[in-house]
Amino acid sequence: MNRREAVTHVAWILGGVFSAPTLQAMNRWEQIGSQATALRQSGSFLTETQHEIMARVAELIIPRTDTPGAIDAGVPDFMEVMLRDCYRKPAQDTFLAGVGALEQKGFLKLSADQQTALLKQVEAEAQKTSDSSFWLITKELTLLGYYTSEVGVKASFDYQPIPGRFEAIKIKPGQKDFMYGNQA
Amino acid sequence: MNLNIKADKAQTYDAIVVGSGMTGGWAAKELTEKGLKVLVLERGYELKHVEDYKTAMKDPWEFEHRGKIPIVAAEEHYATMYFSAKEGSQYLYSNDKENPYIQKRPFNWIRAYHTGGKSLLWGKHTYRWNREDFLANAKQGLGVDWPIRYDDLIPWYNYVEKFVGISGQAEGLAVLPDSNFLPPMAMTAPEIHLKKSVAQKLNRPITIGRVAHLTKPQPWHTAVGRASCQFRNRCSRGCPFGAYFSSLAATIPAARQTNRLTIVHNAIVKEIILDDKAQKAKGVRVIDQNTLEVREFYAKLIFLNAGTIGSTSILMNSKSARFPNGLGNDSDQLGRNLMDHHLAIGARADIEGFEDDYFFGARPGSLYIPRFRNWGNDKRDYLRGFGYQGGASRADWSRGATETGFGADFKKKMTQPGPWKINLSGFGEVLPNPNNRFYLSEDQKDKWGLPQIVFDADFGENERAMRKDIMNDGAEMLEAAGFKNVVPYDNPVAHMGLGIHEMGTARMGKDPKTSVLNKFNQVHACKNVFVTDGSAMTSASNVNPSLTYMALTARAASYAVEQLKARSL
Repeated sequence: MNRREAVTHVAWILGGVFSAPTLQAMNRWEQIGSQATALRQSGSFLTETQHEIMARVAELIIPRTDTPGAIDAGVPDFMEVMLRDCYRKPAQDTFLAGVGALEQKGFLKLSADQQTALLKQVEAEAQKTSDSSFWLITKELTLLGYYTSEVGVKASFDYQPIPGRFEAIKIKPGQKDFMYGNQA
Repeated sequence: MNLNIKADKAQTYDAIVVGSGMTGGWAAKELTEKGLKVLVLERGYELKHVEDYKTAMKDPWEFEHRGKIPIVAAEEHYATMYFSAKEGSQYLYSNDKENPYIQKRPFNWIRAYHTGGKSLLWGKHTYRWNREDFLANAKQGLGVDWPIRYDDLIPWYNYVEKFVGISGQAEGLAVLPDSNFLPPMAMTAPEIHLKKSVAQKLNRPITIGRVAHLTKPQPWHTAVGRASCQFRNRCSRGCPFGAYFSSLAATIPAARQTNRLTIVHNAIVKEIILDDKAQKAKGVRVIDQNTLEVREFYAKLIFLNAGTIGSTSILMNSKSARFPNGLGNDSDQLGRNLMDHHLAIGARADIEGFEDDYFFGARPGSLYIPRFRNWGNDKRDYLRGFGYQGGASRADWSRGATETGFGADFKKKMTQPGPWKINLSGFGEVLPNPNNRFYLSEDQKDKWGLPQIVFDADFGENERAMRKDIMNDGAEMLEAAGFKNVVPYDNPVAHMGLGIHEMGTARMGKDPKTSVLNKFNQVHACKNVFVTDGSAMTSASNVNPSLTYMALTARAASYAVEQLKARSL
């Protein structure tokens, strides 16, 4: 029994109560199933150009300063893993459409200032809708990828894997946020 | 012939406990400590305390998906996807595809098939039920009257609380009786402000959550290898310090220390074997979950602690000439009055100010707001009440996703503590209703050949009416504290099962015609079978139930041993 058959079987046992998102996920598995070879060969969700665009976008969101940036933290590869494994087809399509739009505008050939200006436009557009957008997905994944990476955590926060106590305290000037690593 | 007798003898114990979770651990501890040779049967795999908590010490970057669950895994664990499972804790939840069930009406059946069971997943909020909880059914003519009162449980609450270790603050409230407490956890500055405001303006008390975490371990805690809470709040991955109470960290080690405990894993109990002549149980028939091999074990005493649905379904599967509809089911109450707590509703707000206030450590607990509706002079157009859990904390870097901006300044800003936010999440009582039930499917079986469970239960008018107050009252309290952007919410995903507080389905009662168990959790019609998990509950209260299950189990075990010694079982 392949995966779709297995899922359909369970759906049938459950009296056909599977939700729309589940059915979408099943379609996605089917699609991955038919493209399995291609995906494995390239090992990636995006084309090389798209990957480069996303690396550039992530670095504009979290640039290298006196601390490492998004690329140093491996965000571009992380985004691919997440899009492939943790997002359903409609969100993947939304994301791919957004990258495609940047590609059409020759994003990589623009100057840094022009790239920033374009992303500000994309952000302003995204704020007009409450739906999940290319910008929201990209920003969420960039922040998650960076602020939970080893270099991101160590450069950004006061990381306390074993605090040992809980107490109300007063904040010190310029205090970094504590990070406890309990989000997983 | 001789061989069989020898084999039978080798498989014979004084007592069999089915399940190794919250109540199974207590049954094992009490029965072994009272001198019995005890066999615990666990349907899942063996999970070892500390060494098998494989994600407990991992740093965030060691998780491939940084805590998020891949879609493929989510579909295999669909019951837990609303809130419980993350990448680090998913391994403790059972796979729904391998363990299917049928939802005639929506029900999330969240399970943990391994040593320790759901005692490794619980929220650890630990409250005594109050006097009224045991009287409400009788006063209101709902369900059946409890065969016990609060006073019957006081010594047992005292007894189990000390061993469990509960941090909390004594308040002297009738609605939320105090336990034996270890030192309370601290409140944050906005939480203290909320407590004061709500006391002054609305006359409602707020206390720190009473949670089963060791804030000051006592000798009897360290004697089983438990240590103090480290405030990592990574409890959902299993606690290598044994700081939160679980059967794996506490009751099972205590039982083991007696040298009278045997645990057999991968043993799915198919049915209880009845001795027709004596009208007593003589053992259980078990299917090995991996090899499908069928074995039998024998004992004078059987404790069912397989979780509400598990224990009741074993009784249902135990059919005989005497009990054609399941063992002890003369009342037709097996499977009925399925209850849970209703949740996913409350209010949240932003907090302005308190910029200088911060906290150190990750607190594995929250505030608690005890029930105030239908209490004292308050009268509502629905029955019973609700409480809240919640608290205030500062937003972290993840706030950046919905904030405008990007680049170097934005990056730096995300490393600073964000504004304070607060959430109050309501937990409401569900009434007993004989039409809220589960039963065994007539044609659908699982891979072990056991009938699948069919859930047919939903919240009723009373719960829906209560939900309006949970939202509004939550918002009212946040407004009383002057918090901003107060948003009452009701998540439409809420339905039975999500509370993971399954209760009822083999209720206690005075009359064998209307209940399954007597006041000592004994099956009315089969005295050497005891059911002491959530199945036994006659009503649901609005506070978390585990402490009451534990007290009932210790009480029933004590009674059972007395009866054994008096040769009355």
